[in-house]
Amino acid sequence: MKEGREETGGACLRFDHELESYLEGESRLFVTAHAQDCPFCHALLSDLELIRLAAREMPREEPSPVVWANVRARLEAEGAFRPQGSGWRKLLTWWAIPHPVPVAALAGLVILGSLLSLPPRSAQRWDAPEAAPTSPAMLTTSATPASEDSAVARLVQELESNYRANEASLAPDLKATYNKSLVSLNDSIRECLDSLQHEPRNTLAHDYLLTAYTRKAEILSSALEFEGR
Amino acid sequence: MNQRTVVSKIPTRQQILRSLALILVPATMLCAAGEGRLEKTLDTTREPRISLTNLKGVVLVRGWDKAQVHVVWTVASPRVEVDAEFLPDTGPAEKVHFTTHVLDPLANANDQVADYTLDVPAGSSLEIRNPQGKIRVQGMQAEADIQSVGGDIVVSDFSGHLSVRSVGGNIEILRPSGHVEAYSITGNLHFVSPTTTKLRGSTTSGHILFEGDFMERGDYILSAYSGDLDIVCPPSASFELNEKTVRGKVINTLPIKRRRESASPLASSNSLLGTHNTGKATLELTSFSGTIRIRPQE
Repeated sequence: MKEGREETGGACLRFDHELESYLEGESRLFVTAHAQDCPFCHALLSDLELIRLAAREMPREEPSPVVWANVRARLEAEGAFRPQGSGWRKLLTWWAIPHPVPVAALAGLVILGSLLSLPPRSAQRWDAPEAAPTSPAMLTTSATPASEDSAVARLVQELESNYRANEASLAPDLKATYNKSLVSLNDSIRECLDSLQHEPRNTLAHDYLLTAYTRKAEILSSALEFEGR
Repeated sequence: MNQRTVVSKIPTRQQILRSLALILVPATMLCAAGEGRLEKTLDTTREPRISLTNLKGVVLVRGWDKAQVHVVWTVASPRVEVDAEFLPDTGPAEKVHFTTHVLDPLANANDQVADYTLDVPAGSSLEIRNPQGKIRVQGMQAEADIQSVGGDIVVSDFSGHLSVRSVGGNIEILRPSGHVEAYSITGNLHFVSPTTTKLRGSTTSGHILFEGDFMERGDYILSAYSGDLDIVCPPSASFELNEKTVRGKVINTLPIKRRRESASPLASSNSLLGTHNTGKATLELTSFSGTIRIRPQE
């Protein structure tokens, strides 16, 4: 990917230059046109669009400090922090990261972490006194599949698409282990969804569903780190 | 005759070369076999941070009471190398990093093997990544983050904060104390004689086996999805139990006093809230479709 980007350096630099404005809503036809020609820039733009889309659907909740601490530690370890720029320019420093796909996956995990750290409207633990529903509205939300489930599912699907697109570069042993675990997690997601279809109020099944999505995102993110090595 | 004898005792040039060849060839072979092995000892602080990132092979880490790291590594082929970094450059090392690199992209799976044996200060913080190999950690006292993808992980006599993850490998934790977290997707979890006050274990399709007692005010949460969950504890164990399964079974052979029956939000699930003895520890067991069993140690 890095090589492809260097080959088309001039165009990619212009893409870099205009991306911030494009993401802030300005009409920049070059950005979309170039993203169609350059796979690397296309991947970056898709990831940023995905993050923007998911962010728009998120309630204004601050993720748990643990989420940020973990993300920061991870990015720091990858050498992602550079003493320059602000706003979207910070995102552009991702170019310098040797493994951009895992970092995009990590960004997905940030969103996933944020979604999962929301107040557990639909995942109330029926036996935990501190989590008992306090209003009729909360009771009704727990009776229907929550909207965050589908947002989480979409994010996990994106991660899986990235994984599938690159899995051929994984060592055979690693690929076999990852695929076996994904089969196991997919089975559990399917069973939980089936269970929730019959019993939408089953909070334990809902907890298992969210756990399975989280684990799947972690596994895919971990696998993406190994791809291409 | 004498002269002839003397002459016959003086080796010819050809004999010398042959003798040299006989000595040098095996010696060269021995050197070649040993060139992938390296041993080092260096001074560290009492609580250094140690990270090890390997690809494939066996990693053994043992805690000792010296303020030193002693490492032996063996690489299977010259297509793989180990980078060792000690920080700061002078004085006892506060950070030690070992990283296995593949030098040749054509290296096959067997070429990528590197085995490590480390003796480290027992108070070291550890971070170990060995995606395709076994990890064994013994006698450490601080904190450790240990991860594999397909390899088994065995940790024994660990006190402190322990976080262990393997996607497909089995995890075995013997006699831990402190805070333990263990996660796998398809691997089994086995806890033996823990004296932890906080223990979390989760696997999706693996089996969980807990053998031991529960500490007073200890908090234990174990969750399996389709695998079974077995608790084997002494009859004197004292715990409050919260046991739930969606489609699985609950089998208890200990006399657990029920507190209340399952409530409506979990209508079709099997669940039990109860107390065994005086309820000093808290035990939460969940399963989606596996069987949860609690039985006394024999």
